[in-house]
Amino acid sequence: MARLEGPLAELIDSRSIRLNEHAVDRFDAVRRAGQALVEVGAVAEPYIDAMIEREGSVSTFVGEGFAFPHATRAASADVDHDALVVLRFPEGVDWDGETVFVCIGIAARGRGYIGLLSRLATLLLDPMRADALRSATAPAEVYALLG
Amino acid sequence: MPERTVAVASSVGLHARPASLFCQAVARIGVPVLLTTSSGRQVNAASILGVLSLGVGPGESVTLEAEGDGAENALDELVALLSVDLDLE
Repeated sequence: MARLEGPLAELIDSRSIRLNEHAVDRFDAVRRAGQALVEVGAVAEPYIDAMIEREGSVSTFVGEGFAFPHATRAASADVDHDALVVLRFPEGVDWDGETVFVCIGIAARGRGYIGLLSRLATLLLDPMRADALRSATAPAEVYALLG
Repeated sequence: MPERTVAVASSVGLHARPASLFCQAVARIGVPVLLTTSSGRQVNAASILGVLSLGVGPGESVTLEAEGDGAENALDELVALLSVDLDLE
């Protein structure tokens, strides 16, 4: 839990900031976010399918061009450590009728989700910060915005 | 303005899936609704980011206020929604 008190940026591996992504639909976008979490060792492979399943159950769109894909609590066993990945889709992805430009994929164990979602949402309620993140082209910008 | 106070029944609090389902219901009902926490933070109940930002935990009380035609019915429906565990699969 101690890590949750630090900057969100500490949860983001630089390899998992991908700012020029393309996806054919929201499930493809979620799969890419899940793959990024796997590649930095935050989750085991089955977590990706749990994310897809969660997306199909209720959209993870949160407004302002953002989605926060994550798995259900049942997949907590597949989480090695809390992590965030940031995928930007410059062309936008149709998200069940909405349009998403940035997916922030989340891996967290147990109640860690509540704190992470709350802190991310609080940051993105600031319109200037949200706009800057939607148009970020360099990882340093992402770190600064989520720091 | 009619208002109701209700304890959030979802076992994980009002975040993720429960927050999305709640905000979708507010949007579908189409009546402006404000959500206020016991510590006095207030957001537009139709805003998922707004509701998520509150980090409302399980069992925590929130107050809903609505105005206009259908406000009472809207509050009845939303209170009923928050009174069940929306996180059950």
